[in-house]
Amino acid sequence: MLQRRGWLGGPKPPKNPHSLEHLKYLHHVLMKNQTVTESNKSLIVEALRSMAEILIWGDQNDSSVFEFYLEKNMFLFFLNILEQNSGNYVCVQLLQTLNILFENLQHETSLYYLLSNNHINEVICHKFDFSDEEVMAYYISFLKTLSLRLNQHTIHFFYNEHTDDFALYTEAIKFFNHPESMVRIAVRTLTLNVYNVNDRAMLRFIRDKTAAPYFSNLVWFIAEHVREVDNCVRNNANHQHRDRLRDLVAEHLDHLHYLNDIVTLENEMLNEVLIHHLLHRLFLPLYVRSLADGSPGDDNVYYHLILDILLKDYFSIFYNVLRYHLFLNNKCFLGQYQYIYTFIMFTMDTLLVISKDYEYSCRQVTIQCCNKTINSPHLPFLDTIYSALNCTGSDYSALFALCFLYAILHNKGLLCLTHLIENCSKIKYNHGIVTYRFVCILWCSVSTRILKKRTGNYQRKHGNLFHLTPKKCTLLNKANSAQNTLNKLILIHRDKHSFKEDIGKEEGSESYCHWLIERLLRIISKSVMSESKVRLATLRLTSILLKKVGVRDTDCVLLEEHLSSIEVNIFSILAEAMQNLQKYLKEEEMFLDIFEDEYRTLQPLNVEYLMMDSSLLLPPTVTPLTGIEFSKRLPCGQSEQARQLIGIFFTLRDLSLFLCKESETQLPLTREQDCIQTNDKLDLNNSDLIACTVSSKESKQRRFLVVELYQLILVEPDSKRLGWGVVKFAGFLQVLTRIDSRTLHVIIHKPSGLRRVPILAANFIFDDHIRCMAAKQRLTKGRMRARHLKTGRIAVLLGV
Amino acid sequence: MSYAYLFKYIIIGDTGVGKSCLLLQFTDKRFQPVHDLTIGVEFGARMITIDGRQIKLQIWDTAGQESFRSITRSYYRGAAGALLVYDITRRDTFNHLTTWLEDARQHSSSNMVIMLIGNKSDLEARREVKKEEGEAFAREHGLIFMETSAKTAANVEEAFINTAKEIYEKIQEGVFDINNEANGIKLGPQHSPASGGAGGNRPRQSSDGGGCC
Repeated sequence: MLQRRGWLGGPKPPKNPHSLEHLKYLHHVLMKNQTVTESNKSLIVEALRSMAEILIWGDQNDSSVFEFYLEKNMFLFFLNILEQNSGNYVCVQLLQTLNILFENLQHETSLYYLLSNNHINEVICHKFDFSDEEVMAYYISFLKTLSLRLNQHTIHFFYNEHTDDFALYTEAIKFFNHPESMVRIAVRTLTLNVYNVNDRAMLRFIRDKTAAPYFSNLVWFIAEHVREVDNCVRNNANHQHRDRLRDLVAEHLDHLHYLNDIVTLENEMLNEVLIHHLLHRLFLPLYVRSLADGSPGDDNVYYHLILDILLKDYFSIFYNVLRYHLFLNNKCFLGQYQYIYTFIMFTMDTLLVISKDYEYSCRQVTIQCCNKTINSPHLPFLDTIYSALNCTGSDYSALFALCFLYAILHNKGLLCLTHLIENCSKIKYNHGIVTYRFVCILWCSVSTRILKKRTGNYQRKHGNLFHLTPKKCTLLNKANSAQNTLNKLILIHRDKHSFKEDIGKEEGSESYCHWLIERLLRIISKSVMSESKVRLATLRLTSILLKKVGVRDTDCVLLEEHLSSIEVNIFSILAEAMQNLQKYLKEEEMFLDIFEDEYRTLQPLNVEYLMMDSSLLLPPTVTPLTGIEFSKRLPCGQSEQARQLIGIFFTLRDLSLFLCKESETQLPLTREQDCIQTNDKLDLNNSDLIACTVSSKESKQRRFLVVELYQLILVEPDSKRLGWGVVKFAGFLQVLTRIDSRTLHVIIHKPSGLRRVPILAANFIFDDHIRCMAAKQRLTKGRMRARHLKTGRIAVLLGV
Repeated sequence: MSYAYLFKYIIIGDTGVGKSCLLLQFTDKRFQPVHDLTIGVEFGARMITIDGRQIKLQIWDTAGQESFRSITRSYYRGAAGALLVYDITRRDTFNHLTTWLEDARQHSSSNMVIMLIGNKSDLEARREVKKEEGEAFAREHGLIFMETSAKTAANVEEAFINTAKEIYEKIQEGVFDINNEANGIKLGPQHSPASGGAGGNRPRQSSDGGGCC
């Protein structure tokens, strides 16, 4: 194209576009066309494009190119073009050229050339026409590309310590709430890339100049978003706006992920500010309080889910929040601790209920005390969970409660909590008296709880150890410095002898919480009742929790009575399933198919995905017309009820086997190892063999057809042993499709859940009609026999 | 420049499979890599024509952001189409497809059109993944498949345009909710209701090198 434009005068473009001469030529073109007009627009755009190419080439092949670029200060052309406000067409190309340059330059020196003289910041600050979505997209990509090149060396080209200027960052965050999602994502990427550069001065700038407004805006928007989710759920009882709800929840998760990404960069300076906002504007007022106020059926019950999501992946955020709050920020008032305290207590209690392991890690912390400043902790959170698990009416809130327990059990963030509690001992007076006292109280309460839990009997014997005695009160009140308090607490603790030893003796008597097990079992027995309102997902999650709570170090720690209760439940399920089996006798064929299909598609429940599913927020439904997966709704119609029962059966059977430490021997009905595989060698003396030609798209081969227990097999004679055959194909017996005089049309599918993939599609051509009919009969009968066998095995399994 | 629809694409796949080169090759054909000059870019837009209607494609490369979980998951959700790219000369990039696909399916809308691309088809001598394997993978997972070369530009146009056609057909079938921008589809400024069904006209390919408009 450039060649054609030689008429503009001056030297002709060199033949080789990848040469210093070419850049010189471009320089000439731009010199001649310093003012952008309608007529030379295309020429300039073309020159800008070529510029990107030649500079990249130079970077990789010939250093003289960049030297020339620098010598002529060619970046000025870019700025000159920008200043003329020459229209979006030219601006877009300019940005694209810069994108290409910053994306592809390999040599650091080339990069420094481009970044020098502060020109780049002029481009960043230029007021482009952001109403044009194309300009916006290219501009934000430009900023993002730049942010990907940030490191401790390049940061100084962008952040100017003397003028306290960091245009790349400050310009970008102006778009953090842009209506276009890709722009928002780019801004988030950029911020993360910036926070990831470990430059103290820059980070200080961000904290002092931008963190407060940016983070508070961010948190404010997230909180607004949560309210929107709430509204959407409330106005959505009939599932009309499921797509919108799904988008909202996904967006909310994005936000939480973003916060998590920032927090996990472990940038203390920024985290301190971020966490302050998070705690006071989001976690406490929205999430935590909703748990405290919301009993099942209440309006704000949906927050459970939000909290679940939060807990599963973001416990670490929360506890990081607390950690920073306690250790870095001493400007807190006691009142603000109320919720934190209650929440920690809540978590502690939940943990003590569900996990014994956790106690071990907290053991060292044991010190007893009373709780004077904060009133004896009422535990609204735990109450909420308790009543949700009762599963009255629907299993709506029970499922959340289960998710919640699961989340607490699986959250790595809990290490933070342990850490937090352990660190309490390191808190010094100079962290502020309020913080210090809070920590003392926290620490003591935690210990008390552990002790209470572990030493139910012990406590009865030495009751006053855990209660406030006047002596202790006096000591506490008199303590002038907090350090003293701590010492005195330890003294009290020592006074009361080494109760740790006693605890040791008590160990093992009660290793799990009756209360929780009983409730879980209740959910299970509810699930088998007719007209049950328990969804499959709820049951499966219950089973997971039961496994987790009931078994430690591969030993079943459930009491005999509970174990037998589970067995009883399984028996009643069997009875229920048997009845249904009878109902389905007429359509027996379908029952077998459903049974096998359910088993094949059975996959471990992914609780994380489950928790992220927005449809759980809506009241449980029956109808598949909503598009909700089977396991997350109730069965609709007879066939689905059969499916449901089969699903329950598998879950409970698995649970029972797990608890008894037995392995599955009966399922699947046809096991891989019982089947004949390709290349097996079979002794076919005395077998019925029918010769045929197997003709498929690819080939035509002479084979012998054999019908085995469950399988259709094609063999070719073994050349080494007479009467033996080598298996060339083996597939399960299936319904035959078509028959013409001496040809059978056979399509064999791989038995797989979702997509049926044919593994063989061929015509079996026999010598004559009689043999063809014989083969057909053998295949059909074989299939019937196989089905009969399998149905028999189901009957055995069900105890019919 | 006005358009009937805007489709947002993302490009995913292991590093080094040539994602950004494919993108640049499609949006700005002038950069035909000669002399072993490889150039890529992270963002590009280009107008194409399907069924006589102007459609703008915006393509976002997600490279370099893998370490931030929040970023990848948001990208998936905002896109109507995804090009899942592997390198036919590197078996490992093919082996990782399942993970990429799982991620994509988990985070994206179920309607997202995914095209599987075996890139670097010009390097036949160093091929490690057979074309049939790519086809089989695509068939098994319900994807469209194509082998491309960002270097010779073979099939690059087709890869992007076929994906767009698929999306366009889904729109015509009413599968996509075009009023929900979260699906990665946007209506043009002067959009008039769709006229007639899909099919018929082959896309006109811009012959002037496309560029950025």
